[in-house]
Amino acid sequence: MATLPQLIEEDIQTLNAVLRDFLAQTDATTALVIDKGGFLITHEGEANDFDLTTIGALASGAFMANQTIAGLVNEPNFSSIHQQGENFSLFVCNVDSESLLVVIFGCHVGVVKYFTAAAIKKIADQLEVARKRAPGQGVDLSQLNIANTKDVFRKREE
Amino acid sequence: MAIINQATKELQVKVVYYGPAMGGKTTNLVQVHDHVQTAQGNKGKLVSLATSSDRTLFFDFLPIEAMTIKGFKTKFQLYTVPGQVIYNTTRQLVLRGVDGIVFVADSQYEKMPENVESFQNMMDNLNALKMNAAEIPYVLQYNKRDLPNAAPVEYMEFLLNNRETQVPSFTATAHKCEGVFETLNMITRLLLHKYINQSQGAPQPA
Repeated sequence: MATLPQLIEEDIQTLNAVLRDFLAQTDATTALVIDKGGFLITHEGEANDFDLTTIGALASGAFMANQTIAGLVNEPNFSSIHQQGENFSLFVCNVDSESLLVVIFGCHVGVVKYFTAAAIKKIADQLEVARKRAPGQGVDLSQLNIANTKDVFRKREE
Repeated sequence: MAIINQATKELQVKVVYYGPAMGGKTTNLVQVHDHVQTAQGNKGKLVSLATSSDRTLFFDFLPIEAMTIKGFKTKFQLYTVPGQVIYNTTRQLVLRGVDGIVFVADSQYEKMPENVESFQNMMDNLNALKMNAAEIPYVLQYNKRDLPNAAPVEYMEFLLNNRETQVPSFTATAHKCEGVFETLNMITRLLLHKYINQSQGAPQPA
């Protein structure tokens, strides 16, 4: 049975430090690490004005759709997508087989692209450390109370 | 595959509503969005990537946080897939990283071939993604029970739930929000049991 991918405090601290450095270097607004399934793993920068959970889900869908197009035109790799806007632009870049870096920025894309290479290497290295960690380490799902799940989601009284 | 973030004590899981076109997948998400009781801020916006005629083009997405689980914040991401046959590539994209599936079947007699085809397509897509379908929890929802031409539940069970291990199934009239929460809570239960069993079965650090 596959083990659960899990991230401990050390992973998140390292990823956040990489993102903070990246934002300082590029003057970008927000940087997110997301899973290709659409999960938001962590983020740094401006968060109040953006729905990062939804941005993560949509960015992963857009990236994966472009990967499929790549396959259809016999291109082995579209490693990034870039959407230019008036106020904000978006850059989504492959990190490894499971995750992506999403950057929301108002600055020049060249700067973002230039510093992305170093950042994704550090992010990929830390995620690899997390994946290789002994399965079960740090997991204590016994804290979950599942005695009665019929009320996990309740219909609101009208 | 779900993500556990120990730093923020969050468990994120992805549930996909699968089934034939016009079967009520989007309606399920709309009803959950409209009627779920949550603490303020625990329910995200329902995002629909739909055509001008309200048919799902890519997916619908609803992030939602469970309310009664102690210790961990359990964040659910609910997705639907487009039901039309031509959008199979899109369905594969949405299935990536799925933790649990709600198969929404249309109860009308004339929709039975589409139900069976869609169910087989789901199994084929899981195999194509190298996911072991036997390890992905799923539940069945027999929707549109209020229609006069609804097939008997026993017949739908025979068509869709006729396996060595039967899965939980629910009757529903999604547009009236009947059966919607029962279905969602059951897939939640199956998922949490799975992850607790996995974590208890995993070797602990020395």
